[in-house]
Amino acid sequence: MIRVEGLRKEYGDFVAVAGSSFAVETGEVFGIVGPNGAGKTTTLKMLAGLVEPTAGAAVVNGFAATDDEMRATLGFLPEESPLYEEMTAHSYLQFFADLYDVPREVATARITDALDRLDLEHRDRALGNLSKGMKRKVAIARSLVNDPAVLVYDEPASGLDPLTTNYVMEFTRELAARGKTVVFSAHNLYHVEDVCDRVAIMTDGEIVARGTLPEIREAHGETTYHAYTTVELEESVAVNGHFETVVGDMDAVDDVRRLAADAGGELVDIRTTESSLEEIFLDVAGTG
Amino acid sequence: MRLRQTLRIARWEVTKGASSLDRRTALALVVSLLVLGAVAPMVASQGATPNDGLYRVGVTQDSQYYGPVREERSLRAVDPTAGTRVCRDVELLVDGPRVTYCDTEKGRAALAALRSAVRAYNDQLMAKEPDQAAAFPVRVSLEYVEQAGPSAQVGGSSDAATGGSASSTAGSGGNASGTGDGAGGDGGSGTAADGAQASGASGPLPATGGLFGSEGQTGSPAAITPPFPLQSLLLAFAFLLPLNVVTQAYGSSVIDERIDRRGELLLVSPASTGDVVAGKTLPYLLGTLLVVAGVAAVMGGGPVTVLAIAPVAVLFLATSFVAGMFARSFKELTFVTVTGSVLIMTYAFVPAIFTNVHPIAAISPLSLVVKDLTGAPIGAGEFAVATLPMTLAAGVLFALGTGVYREEDMFAQRSPPAKAVDALAAHLRRPRDAALWSALFIPFVLVAELLAIALLFVLPVAVSLPLLLAVVAVVEELAKSLHVYAGFARGRFDTRLRPALLVGAFSGVGFFVGEKLGLVVQLVGLPNLELGRAAFSTSTASTPVVAATLLLAPLALHVVTASISAYGARLSRRHYLAALLVAAGVHFAYNLTVVTTLV
Repeated sequence: MIRVEGLRKEYGDFVAVAGSSFAVETGEVFGIVGPNGAGKTTTLKMLAGLVEPTAGAAVVNGFAATDDEMRATLGFLPEESPLYEEMTAHSYLQFFADLYDVPREVATARITDALDRLDLEHRDRALGNLSKGMKRKVAIARSLVNDPAVLVYDEPASGLDPLTTNYVMEFTRELAARGKTVVFSAHNLYHVEDVCDRVAIMTDGEIVARGTLPEIREAHGETTYHAYTTVELEESVAVNGHFETVVGDMDAVDDVRRLAADAGGELVDIRTTESSLEEIFLDVAGTG
Repeated sequence: MRLRQTLRIARWEVTKGASSLDRRTALALVVSLLVLGAVAPMVASQGATPNDGLYRVGVTQDSQYYGPVREERSLRAVDPTAGTRVCRDVELLVDGPRVTYCDTEKGRAALAALRSAVRAYNDQLMAKEPDQAAAFPVRVSLEYVEQAGPSAQVGGSSDAATGGSASSTAGSGGNASGTGDGAGGDGGSGTAADGAQASGASGPLPATGGLFGSEGQTGSPAAITPPFPLQSLLLAFAFLLPLNVVTQAYGSSVIDERIDRRGELLLVSPASTGDVVAGKTLPYLLGTLLVVAGVAAVMGGGPVTVLAIAPVAVLFLATSFVAGMFARSFKELTFVTVTGSVLIMTYAFVPAIFTNVHPIAAISPLSLVVKDLTGAPIGAGEFAVATLPMTLAAGVLFALGTGVYREEDMFAQRSPPAKAVDALAAHLRRPRDAALWSALFIPFVLVAELLAIALLFVLPVAVSLPLLLAVVAVVEELAKSLHVYAGFARGRFDTRLRPALLVGAFSGVGFFVGEKLGLVVQLVGLPNLELGRAAFSTSTASTPVVAATLLLAPLALHVVTASISAYGARLSRRHYLAALLVAAGVHFAYNLTVVTTLV
């Protein structure tokens, strides 16, 4: 559904995106995470045809991202919700439906359906008078008026309260279940982990990790061993009547076993934990 | 571009604009318009008369002063009684042949008004006399004739205009010269003649009974009115002021799309940039045309007036659009639109002052308005030279503005020069595009050079000519190289030497072709003006060899100088500026040589 090859964007001497390549399949939710200035938004804008790449190419739904035809098959949600605030939700959505050449009856049904699903109240109130969460819902509804095959969402839950955020995330998952291909960026890694099928981690304009979460963990994460002893050792902490020592591999666990025996105790339990996406992100992005 | 999308956006723009007004403001606007609509025809038919009955005059009905007092609107006749006192009850008191006035400022003004009223009243009575020779022993007829040549105008020489020396240049612009109030100290006309009535376009403004008064140009000295159409120009100026209101609203709407990234979603919709820009512009274009048509109707102008002003309106909008796209704040927008408005109004208004006085007026659409209002004939070439430069300039401005109607320029705080480079580079793909854009800049070159002529023509030729040639050289070299520099700066062109020189050569050829197409100025007699001849190099060749040289030499000049600029432009901005200076120098030397040896 989406093919990106060597996508690069330069602003003068500044390289915003340094040759990204990835692919997203139909019905997949693909997340792009990274710190501020990593190039996530620029990448999404190049996918949406808003920003012309300096080099490389993106093909979306069979069209080059720079083609006018591509835009008819895409639903784009920018990070902010730039609405025409003097319009009502309904007239705003109808205006965009007209631009997408959606027949009136179809548009009306689609708008009503989207607003119902998003549980949007105050549909006839001027958009300027709606809350931020309501505006975001209208913006999401707008991205759906043309029933696009591909949705590109930039920080869809940006600035929303937890309740609305969960709502938006569930809605995103629902869209994927309905066959939509969704690419979105987020700061909140919990959401990415929760919603995305695959993830790309960007930093300094480059994709430094990419794949499903298990793939990323295998490549960039680490297994941590928690050894529980009956006696206190150096660097151990008391946990539920035992003493926990955290080490990185099985050789170290053997060392713990030996040290416990020397101290007159014994090793009673070993547990393992995998790195979370956040830990991998912090590690890969170099900010941890 | 798709019409449906354009119309949908236009409808939305109207709705958006209307809904941004609250009901009270909208109501106030409607009421104001209704009041204006009701008052304007009254004022137009009767004139504004705030001084009606201002001065009270104690005068009986059998007094000889009663008639003049009754005729003069500022005077009000009051039947005097024995108790009537000057100053307290009246400003003037007529007692038989004696007039007593209140010795105050108002009293003295009342006396002056009475004197004037008596004089006018007497003139009216005299005009009714069967024996006009006895009534007006001195009778004056004005005959307007064409000037002998341009030197008398520009150089301020002592050559007086001579009668009947019609120019051989095609067009009617030259016919308009030669009034007694001509610029440059031409005092050759305005003499008492043999009573022959002037006629046609070369004569005085014909009596229309409309805005220009109904006095004939034959009669007593008091009845002769100067031909300088100040009143008409002031009224014509009224076209431009309402345009400012519409264009300010348009500029605000354009910049509004850029605030909080509101226009971003239109950019990801299937509507093309052309659809969006056309849709946003259409309501304002119709608005300006309605305003122009309304003002024209009030003034008594016809379709020619509307067609003449339309390019000015479009240029106003184009300037506003570019300003809206380039400005980084409403403050900058106001500054740029006001500057643009002043420049356009200068271009349109200053030359129009000389309508029917000097050929320079041919460059202004307002001159066409004046002629339309006076019923003077307007040639197709004359219409073209007054309207085409502005129309084409507006088109190019819209194209440039559309070039930066994209995410990277709309929502980023980029400097105007950087945006200008983006705008110029947006339409460049291949080296030959440089030729097209050089040709497209010809309207700006024309406007700039005509404006330079309009500003410099009052100076002596010895001063104005070198100045003009320098201006011409700089303007033309900029027109040939700015987009070339933009193309290199934005990586549109190959910066290696040979491809760069090829781009320069394309630019020079394009400019040459465009320049030749722009020779429409020759149709309207502008080259009658020596400065115009210098600017547009319209000298005639004596032999085929000279003719060929005169044709090919400019081509060679433009190719060489454009290549010099391109050579610098491929390297850096500093190199470009240095190369541009060299190119302008070469161009100036060429112009000076041609003008001093051939013209």
